[in-house]
Amino acid sequence: MAAPDPLARLSRPSLSSRPSTPKEFSPAPHLRSSTIDSSASSVSSVFNSPTTFSANIEDTRSLICRAFVPHIAVHVSADVDELVREKGFRGGFAELLRPFGEDLQGRINVRDSQGLSASHDDFGVRFVGLADVAASGERWETGMAHAAMNGGSSRKGEETYVGGSIEEVEELMDIQLGEQEDGAETELLDEGVDGDRERRSPYWRYLRRLLSALPVSPHETFSHPVACVIAISSRNKSPIEELRNLYTTGTNAGLPSYVHAEYLRYYVLIHDEDRDDITKSNLLYEQMRRHFGVHCHILRLRSGKTVISDEDAQLSPAPEWLAASEELAVIRNKDDIEGQSSLYLPETDVSGIRTMVREMVQLSVVPFMERCMATWNDQVASRRKGISGRFMSLSKRYFTSSSSRNSGSASSNYDPTSGSYAPSTPEAQMRKLADYAFMLRDYRLAHSIYDLLRTDFNNDKAWKYHAAVQEMTVISLLLITNSISHKTRQDTIDPHLDLALYSYLNRCSSTFSALRCLLVTVELLRLRSNCADDASKWAIRALDIKGLGQLSRALITERVGDCYRARDFSGGSTHIGTRKRKSAMWKMLAAKEWVQAGKIPQARRCLDVALPMYETSRFEGIDEFVGRLKELTAYTPLLDDGDERVGKQGDGADDDEEEVVEKVELDNKRMSLVVSPPVMEMEEEKKDDSFVQS
Amino acid sequence: MSFYFAIIGTRDNPLYTYEFGTSKSGGDGVARFREDQRSMNQFILHSSLDMVEEVQWTNRDLYLKTVDRFNNLMVSGFVTGGNIKFLLLHDQKAEDPIRQFFTEVHEAYVKTLMNPFYEVDMRIVSVVFDQRVRAAARKYL
Repeated sequence: MAAPDPLARLSRPSLSSRPSTPKEFSPAPHLRSSTIDSSASSVSSVFNSPTTFSANIEDTRSLICRAFVPHIAVHVSADVDELVREKGFRGGFAELLRPFGEDLQGRINVRDSQGLSASHDDFGVRFVGLADVAASGERWETGMAHAAMNGGSSRKGEETYVGGSIEEVEELMDIQLGEQEDGAETELLDEGVDGDRERRSPYWRYLRRLLSALPVSPHETFSHPVACVIAISSRNKSPIEELRNLYTTGTNAGLPSYVHAEYLRYYVLIHDEDRDDITKSNLLYEQMRRHFGVHCHILRLRSGKTVISDEDAQLSPAPEWLAASEELAVIRNKDDIEGQSSLYLPETDVSGIRTMVREMVQLSVVPFMERCMATWNDQVASRRKGISGRFMSLSKRYFTSSSSRNSGSASSNYDPTSGSYAPSTPEAQMRKLADYAFMLRDYRLAHSIYDLLRTDFNNDKAWKYHAAVQEMTVISLLLITNSISHKTRQDTIDPHLDLALYSYLNRCSSTFSALRCLLVTVELLRLRSNCADDASKWAIRALDIKGLGQLSRALITERVGDCYRARDFSGGSTHIGTRKRKSAMWKMLAAKEWVQAGKIPQARRCLDVALPMYETSRFEGIDEFVGRLKELTAYTPLLDDGDERVGKQGDGADDDEEEVVEKVELDNKRMSLVVSPPVMEMEEEKKDDSFVQS
Repeated sequence: MSFYFAIIGTRDNPLYTYEFGTSKSGGDGVARFREDQRSMNQFILHSSLDMVEEVQWTNRDLYLKTVDRFNNLMVSGFVTGGNIKFLLLHDQKAEDPIRQFFTEVHEAYVKTLMNPFYEVDMRIVSVVFDQRVRAAARKYL
């Protein structure tokens, strides 16, 4: 039964409009619009501080986009690592490349499945050591994080850092918040623009660490290598031999069996400017091009360590997307090794690496991914989407369940013992197709494929795959559309998220994935003012996840308050109703959590935001609660510049209210003077007055 | 079942609060809130005013039914003609009894309002009003 091709084409989802215009990603309009928004909100809104909603839409989107980027493995010969170590990079070539991959210069053009091209200027890739990919896969699978990490370190002499651990992120936040406490004064002085504030906020850093260094796992392919850099240096005696050797060792590097081995190989020749002859290297490079085709590059590096006093020395950029465990290790080692943190490179090296990374991504990696997507889309996805594919999957389900129940696993491609699909199966290829589309930001295609896969994984009872696909369905849907109706939210997002959470938490006990899924969705929902309630709802749901530490709880509780604050007047179907009281309540609860976590400055910040709401409250219970918190945090109002601004904004509304209160009090008194009521009533009157004043 | 009832004035100020338990099915009418839950109750009621302000424009009746939830607690609301809100925190769904309770309290409140020495937004300290609310609570909840 061959798939009818024209039919399949027809049934492909309509991709007529671009998911995101390139304009959305350019920084200039974003800045401008954010300033307009914030000024408008300061006029109209009662409780919105400029930091919360108006700015950072692009920031948050960009953060999430940049969390899911292609991973490029690095596999180099010993002489390359030696050369790079001489320059001071102890982690080898991958460490040298890494910061340059995170922030590619200029725009990267990407063609989507309809042939329309879009360009992104915040595109990035991650460079990881090939051996690290293999090791991280093992560690994730066994689930025994620390035991495996120790094993890895003894085996290779250096540690492998993988994300995906909430505890490590919390530990890191604990240290960083402690540092912030010490350096609180200096940090508050250089108050930047609002976006900067948000980017430096603890929650932001928390979320980024959570999304950093996604572990290699079977159920999603974001961290599987898309390409592999194979590098030799001009010092090598038998370069072509070495390259062949690297190719074979790279193929047998012990990647987990679920990782698709057909990734792009990119060959790099590193020329040592100080020691070797460029003409010889050029000859070698020509030879490489003849052998391996276009995916080659020659990189000219100076050997030897650069110090700051050297002419044209540039600070090597610091990588942003470190795994929490790696940053922890950096902090721990800081005392042992002096000056390790700041490394310098000659300007020529920096521009050389920049150009190489950019050319590699634009000319090799992205076209390779586009080609893969086109192939898989034609060969696998369209067949599945066509009528025969539907019939096949339907009949498979029908017959296997009716004929013999226990042979259900035999007919499906899912291997329950290893809990994964082999990379050559249609399911795994479609998942990879969707992930590639997601990484290249073709969210419509990604969404349609994820949507298809849901039923497949559900039938195969591949729960972790199922949960991951549900999660990505929601995220890609939120990234496609700008406005989401109440109905879509209720019918699509809520049940999908519910199922994803149920599968993650109850069937796979994968707390990290569940938390990541929730927090990403919350951020995306929060960007829309009419979805603030849903954002808060899911954020509150995240608090129910068992196994969160005190710091996570405090950060998320505070985020609930922010979510409610994101809802402004114009939002909602009725154009009325803010959530200022709810926001204040959650900030208050967050303050309590912070106090319990022993982070007093954070608690004070929350109080700064929440207190204006309760200043005029006459609830005894609330007053008592607030008083206790104030005492615990030794709170003095208007702690610093930034919060003063926030406080003032809140007060703007409350001033009016206080005036009203005073007027009413006066009225009462005047009344009591004029009427001169009987004694009993006078007493009641006085009680009232004393109550209002108290 | 425990309840927390509050009448909230136009400036979010409480006019009257009453904490009680169910009197149905052998209940003794005493609230079973934990000590730390008391201030939380007030926070929840206060925050649900956000929802009341939104729902009051879309709902035809004065009784707004359940307007808000917090974990397993629910808040039912009722607005009077003078934009005074009655809020009841409860942990089980009971639409009709709460409506009857609110209606009866509303009557008592209107009577209080008739007092020439009572101004809108003043705290209600009348013993008669208190008794009538307690009676209504015993009768319906």
